Amino acid sequence: MIAVLGLIVGVVVGLVVRPVVPTVVEPYLPIAVVAALDAVFGGLRAMLDGIFDDKVFVVSFLSNVVVAALIVFLGDKLGVGAQLSTGVVVVLGIRIFSNAAAIRRHVFRA
Amino acid sequence: MAIDETPEPEKKPEQPRPDRESSPVGRRPMPPESRRVPERPETGDGTEAQEPDSTGQKKDKGADSSTPDAVADDGSTERPKTGRERLVASLWPPRLTRAQLIVALLLFILGLGLAIQVRSTSDSSALRGARQEDLVRILDELDNRSQRLTDEQRRLEGQKTELENSSDQAEEARKQTVEKEQQLGVLAGTVAAQGPGINLTIDDPTHSVEADKLLDTIQELRAAGAEAIQVNDVRVVANTYLSDIRGGVEIDGKRVMQPYRFKVIGKPEDLEPALNIPGGVVQTLEKEQAKVSVTREEKIIVNALREAKRPDYARSSSQ
Repeated sequence: MIAVLGLIVGVVVGLVVRPVVPTVVEPYLPIAVVAALDAVFGGLRAMLDGIFDDKVFVVSFLSNVVVAALIVFLGDKLGVGAQLSTGVVVVLGIRIFSNAAAIRRHVFRA
Repeated sequence: MAIDETPEPEKKPEQPRPDRESSPVGRRPMPPESRRVPERPETGDGTEAQEPDSTGQKKDKGADSSTPDAVADDGSTERPKTGRERLVASLWPPRLTRAQLIVALLLFILGLGLAIQVRSTSDSSALRGARQEDLVRILDELDNRSQRLTDEQRRLEGQKTELENSSDQAEEARKQTVEKEQQLGVLAGTVAAQGPGINLTIDDPTHSVEADKLLDTIQELRAAGAEAIQVNDVRVVANTYLSDIRGGVEIDGKRVMQPYRFKVIGKPEDLEPALNIPGGVVQTLEKEQAKVSVTREEKIIVNALREAKRPDYARSSSQ
């Protein structure tokens, strides 16, 4: 419950305060957000499976974000930033879909 | 699609298991799920990849605390809580545990990033997320476009100047035409005229003044530079004719009775002496027992009009 509240508060704060993102971080933010979403879906699924662990969640969340940003950074340096970020988004999207499918089976039993 | 299908093969072998019948009614369709997860080798998520070593640390689940860890691991033993129940239990009542707080913090960061990203993509068009080469291309296109537009603007401005000139000329021509029309109108008697001049009144109670005398008067006035003449309410123009009738004079077919009031526009200093010279119009008329008075006026208004007639035969030869 508190976790859900945290998400809501985050969205509200982001919309209301309108923080300025440093230009250096800006290109990595969308990928980082997608990576974090992936981690959250994984965590939700683990919770439904009854195997949720906060430490694992924290580590996976942070590592997902860092690795995703790193890949994009590397891609930008190599000149294939657009392609790599597309790749990252595709992979994360597939994982989000599979996790969402598992969550769906839990919640709707279908 | 492929995602949905991957679990199926795992699901199938498990279904015939006997423990399914002994499980709670609520979880009938999904027992394979709850057992499937621990066995699944391909779960790539960071959270799930480390499942085996994390199963013992389920701190935030009230539901799980009552379940032995071993149950989750081997999955063959039935579990009292389904995923749905676990979800509900974790949502309500809210528990303030370390895990919840940490997860809340991470989700807060996620929400923040999400909101910032959504906002930044929605408020500043497509350029914000564009890459360098795209931006360069866009800039090039814009340069070309602005160049084209500048050219077009120059062309259109030239056109505008041209049109303005020609419209100036047309305006000038129109003005001249109007002016000419006014001049000709004064001559032809189609417009009213005003200006300095004289009033000439011939009082002729005995009807001794005839058309030839009036014509002489008009001639004299014209000779003295009269520009517009009106007798009573008849305008005197180029083709005016006079004839005698009983008890008066007919001018242009209109009966004109005495006293004859001439309104003449011209230079008063020329007109008056021309009438008053010895042996001139005034003396001649006075010999006929007519009373003649001439007064100079600063402003004479000749407002009797004639219709403009289109000549039937005469055509301008200037074309």
